[in-house]
Amino acid sequence: MNKYIKWILGAAVLVFVLVFPFIVSKAYHMHIALMIGIHILLALSLNLVTGYCGQLSIGHAAFYGVGAYTSALLTLTFPIPFWVAFFIAAIVSAFFGLLLGLPTLRLKGAYLVISTLGFGEIIRLILLNWIDVTRGPMGITGIKAPDSIFGLDFANKTNYYYLMVLIIAIVLILMRLVTNSRTGRAWIAIREDQLAAEVMGIHLAKYKLIAFVASAFVAGFTGSLYAHYVRFISPDTFVLSESIAVVIMVLIGGMGTLVGPIIGAIGITYLLEALRDLGQWRMVLYGLILFFCAVYLPKGLMGLYNYALIKIKSKREASVVKANEGGI
Amino acid sequence: MFLQQLINGLVLGSIYTSIALGLTMIYGILGIINWAHGELYMIGAFAALYLIMIVELPYFAALLATVVIMAIFGFLLDKLVFSPLRGKSDNTIILGTLGISFFLQNLGIIIFSPNPQGITSVYNNMNLNIFGVTVTYSRMIILVVTIVFIIFLNWFIGNTKTGKAMRATSQDYTAARLMGIDIKFVSVVTTIIGAALAGIAGSLAGPIFLVYPTMGILMVTKAFAVVILGGLGNVGGAIFGGFILGIAEAMAAGYISSALKDIVAFVILILVLIIKPEGIFSKYAVEKV
Repeated sequence: MNKYIKWILGAAVLVFVLVFPFIVSKAYHMHIALMIGIHILLALSLNLVTGYCGQLSIGHAAFYGVGAYTSALLTLTFPIPFWVAFFIAAIVSAFFGLLLGLPTLRLKGAYLVISTLGFGEIIRLILLNWIDVTRGPMGITGIKAPDSIFGLDFANKTNYYYLMVLIIAIVLILMRLVTNSRTGRAWIAIREDQLAAEVMGIHLAKYKLIAFVASAFVAGFTGSLYAHYVRFISPDTFVLSESIAVVIMVLIGGMGTLVGPIIGAIGITYLLEALRDLGQWRMVLYGLILFFCAVYLPKGLMGLYNYALIKIKSKREASVVKANEGGI
Repeated sequence: MFLQQLINGLVLGSIYTSIALGLTMIYGILGIINWAHGELYMIGAFAALYLIMIVELPYFAALLATVVIMAIFGFLLDKLVFSPLRGKSDNTIILGTLGISFFLQNLGIIIFSPNPQGITSVYNNMNLNIFGVTVTYSRMIILVVTIVFIIFLNWFIGNTKTGKAMRATSQDYTAARLMGIDIKFVSVVTTIIGAALAGIAGSLAGPIFLVYPTMGILMVTKAFAVVILGGLGNVGGAIFGGFILGIAEAMAAGYISSALKDIVAFVILILVLIIKPEGIFSKYAVEKV
């Protein structure tokens, strides 16, 4: 019964996602949908490190930025197609993930968070001050849209939307495979109890590095997707508040689940747009939401959902037991 | 040049020290990593701005009034934010205080406007000559007031009953509680001291740097670098680390380029984390992999 509902719900979501461009008419709505797509990818990638492996990172915008700049600069300086730049951006970003992962292997809690923050700031300051290459605060303009495949022109928002949906779908399938594999289980073990995981023979350094590198890889090509969609990048996008926004998405949706970060990314991006009339007050509200979610909803909306499921189940079992007792 | 940068570094270092001291004490005694600490610095700066520019209090009276305002604020922070966070996991505490930091920053933008404002102080134009180097009185006041506060704090922690209770709590929370120490009181006092130190740093820095609602972000990240340099929860380390960072930044600004000044803190941070993550002055707290 429960399984059927899940399948029906999944199919409904899929149909909605596919017909979405035909429902909405304004370019603005398509833009929001594309930004939601970018945020879903960012939240999913952070989720590997923070949600599954339990290593809180607030420098995630750095990988996103490295990916965006790598891809933009490559396609502007060399005559290479977008798809090559897309993968190079991911690989360069993954290398930076290794660079952050190595020195922070031994750290946890506050130490880890502060060093990821420091890493994010260093990258931002380099983007801002290395003017010869990055053009500093002016940013990079004139980035091309991805090359068309099968005659699909990606300067068109609707086509870009389907490209994004396809990439998110591939990422989701891969993540599902990885998190259900030996690697994913090792991450969860590390998150739950590092010492116990080590005693069980899990190679901590190896699995933590895999998490950092995989997460940076995904964030890297997300940066590339962003750069070639907006076609203008500047260091202002890849700041601490962006990293924090991604953390909030993962936290509110539910860490360590695949659906949670998606719900979080959609919810937060939509909420921030919907509350635009409130001006600065929406950021005030945002801070309060973060505080209350951290304190009272540490497992996010998915946690709440699972909690409700367990409650319903135990109630049902209790009533079955009662009925049986009555029968005797 | 060298002496000039050294004095600049000491002045900058005293601001970092004041902020880092509160941060490290709150961590050491309450176990709370307070991301909203930079906002205390911001609130102190705005309190001084309003007291000096609008109420037109004399400079030192405004400083004292700022301490009182920060004490009230510290009390509220402890009761409303730290109490619900106590005993939660590190990640929860970090995210919770980050939320409060966001909240205060944006409230600041609404109340004070996002534009940078300056505090005009009579001491800005009075110069002092030390070994051929000219320093404004405002800068000297920062250094002197910070040193006075450090000495006072040292006396307070070392010689009063409350100070003893604070030290006991930082060593072992449960044991301190079993010995009948009023943990809630200790926590309030610690937060008030931390808030007052950060607020004073803000009001001292106001006449030299500009005052704006997001001024706390960079400060708190640098203060964390200082705290890690000295070892989390280590008071002596925070003082030493603050001055080291201040001098290193001033030297980098003077001899390399002022654009690179802000990177210094993070480079030091990462070097410390690679070489001796528990901080220069601590003996424990490393996770082995």
